[in-house]
Amino acid sequence: MSEPATTDPTANQDGDIVLDVKDLVVEFKSGRQRVQAVSGVTFQVRQGETLGLVGESGCGKSTTGRTLVQVQAATSGAIVYQGRDLNGMKGKELRQLRTKIQMIFQDPISSLNPRRRIKDIVAEPLVIWKRGTKEERTAKVHEMLDAVGIDAEVAGDRLPGEFSGGQCQRISIARALMADPDLLICDEPVSALDVSVQAQILNLLADLKEKFRLTMVFIAHDLAVVKNVSDRVAVMYLGKLVEVAGSDELYRAAAHPYTEALLASIPEPDPDHASGHKALTGELPSPLNPPSGCRFRTRCPYVQARCAEEEPLLRDVAPGHQVACHFPVGPAAGQVAPTATTADAPTV
Amino acid sequence: MAMRRGRPAGTLEFKDVGTHEGPLLVVDDVHTSFRTARGTVRAVDGVSFEVHEGKTLGIVGESGSGKTVLSRSIMGLLPPRDVIRSGTVHFAGHDMTAMEDKELRQVWGAELSMIFQDPMTALNPVKRIGVQICESLRLHLDMDKKEAVSTAVELLRSVGIPSPEERVRWYPFQLSGGMRQRVMIAIALACAPRLVLADEPTTGLDVTVQAQILDLLADLQRERHMAVILVTHDLGVVASRADDIIVMYAGRIVERAPTRTLFSDTKMPYTQALMDSIPRLADPSGARLLAIGGRPPDLINPPQGCRFAPRCPYAQDKCRESDPPLRTVGSPDHLFACWFPLVDGKSTAPSVPVSLSASSSSAAPVAGASDPDPTAEADA
Repeated sequence: MSEPATTDPTANQDGDIVLDVKDLVVEFKSGRQRVQAVSGVTFQVRQGETLGLVGESGCGKSTTGRTLVQVQAATSGAIVYQGRDLNGMKGKELRQLRTKIQMIFQDPISSLNPRRRIKDIVAEPLVIWKRGTKEERTAKVHEMLDAVGIDAEVAGDRLPGEFSGGQCQRISIARALMADPDLLICDEPVSALDVSVQAQILNLLADLKEKFRLTMVFIAHDLAVVKNVSDRVAVMYLGKLVEVAGSDELYRAAAHPYTEALLASIPEPDPDHASGHKALTGELPSPLNPPSGCRFRTRCPYVQARCAEEEPLLRDVAPGHQVACHFPVGPAAGQVAPTATTADAPTV
Repeated sequence: MAMRRGRPAGTLEFKDVGTHEGPLLVVDDVHTSFRTARGTVRAVDGVSFEVHEGKTLGIVGESGSGKTVLSRSIMGLLPPRDVIRSGTVHFAGHDMTAMEDKELRQVWGAELSMIFQDPMTALNPVKRIGVQICESLRLHLDMDKKEAVSTAVELLRSVGIPSPEERVRWYPFQLSGGMRQRVMIAIALACAPRLVLADEPTTGLDVTVQAQILDLLADLQRERHMAVILVTHDLGVVASRADDIIVMYAGRIVERAPTRTLFSDTKMPYTQALMDSIPRLADPSGARLLAIGGRPPDLINPPQGCRFAPRCPYAQDKCRESDPPLRTVGSPDHLFACWFPLVDGKSTAPSVPVSLSASSSSAAPVAGASDPDPTAEADA
């Protein structure tokens, strides 16, 4: 792809690329029509980094996450994990590779089988792969439950229903770590939790990432949460990436009006904060019939004629900072996108 | 059943609501317990507060703090069995706890309404949204069908639903989560109630939609001069919207203050801990969050003394032995239940580990906290 997204990110320049997603497209059938949930997304994840994927419901961030573990097939594009393309991979090869990529889901309670004991739920990845003896498995279950702050002696024989949402999420994390993964995909792992429990889980994920040398893709709708855990953040809107930058850079110098709006909508625990905030109006347009040109133009406060005619492509506005906007805001303001590239505009 | 249409005359008229003097809602020493197989769960344990006409009260606490049971106790929406309750709830001078179901039904929706957390389960999935809005209009305001439908369209317009003439015939599943919550608000506001109880109205919604819904509620509140009780687990949600905030822990109020005072002069370590656990955009990425360890206590056997003591970094022997009363120091508006309240973000407890007090004070939310004006009420 002739994508500027291939330039080095600010963070982790020395890390090797473990995951290289190229021009990912995911389509669903809706009656006779086809809906594109993901319309050409390109990004890399480097060894040891956390990439945050942020956007509203329906922007395609979870679909993107699900294709990374191949529970959802991609329509086109490539998902290159350590040199091998997952897309189109089948059978044993895929199953084996998938042990290295694990996922944590949003709803911690429904992602655990309510009728199985915690120790069996957590041991299952090893049972499936016939790894170790029974004693070794038990030892590993204890080790992982211990790592997530659950007392294996007390909790092992209980059922998921006896635990709170935060504890169930800890158990899901322990299960995800059983097969010694390298890459952890977290799909809204804290959005169903209270803020106090959310802080515990975010700290836990940071500790585990260090301890087990994990690489993470962290998907969420709350930019404050994503910023806290991520080294780099990719902002998604209606199936496309609109901005990619280092987390601190994104907060300091948001260049896309959508990122600006996402930042403004976060409720700050400060009574004097409200003054400058402007809520985003309207809702995400239907992906069945996306707006022409820039997909954000229907809700953008700075929309101009060019936005409807020509699709903005991701381009560099600073080292490691890409934005898909003709008229970026913030410190990047004034760097109007050149028109020349659009003649044969590839759909990114 | 003969009284289905319109307000029955004589039994209970709420005409005096508008002229009622004093606080709109007075909650006095409410206790609500549930009998379970394991024992009695004291979900709400002696809560008192007032809400004045047109004001917003935020009730904040973790899951299990009793905030939802409290809001249901106020509404009278408790299960019929295995509930032990005491205390009174006066709404516009009428004791809600003494009302028969029939009388409650006249108050619900008409004068006092509720916005529930989950708009998918709170709406009837097999009825068009228009029908659901019209229900209370026809029942309480005695409108005919045509009038009710046109009012429903206007209501949908006022809550920001595009092309309401068409949407009024839609079913809940055809709407997004944010739109469904707007419909819930339209239903709650249909009969122009004096008080709206919003129980986690934006939990489960995207942050962008959350901001829209809260702004909408604030606008409608201003227009209609309603009082609002906003129940949430997120202090960030109420920070810029409530006049007063109550912080609940383990079924009790642990701090109550005008919003600005609560943030600038936090007294209770639990309130401080709730504030510190919110990720701040201004903090660098990877900054460690100051999470509260442990969980809220079991309300069947709550700990002796201060219920927050087992999780409190500053807990002393006194905290573990005797229960701190809700009290004031200086400002009469600022109540808190703590033996060693914070001063400028630092604990006044005699023996506090240095590292803990240092880490906590560095995270004090508002700089330059001084004793605020006792009469200071956050301007709406």
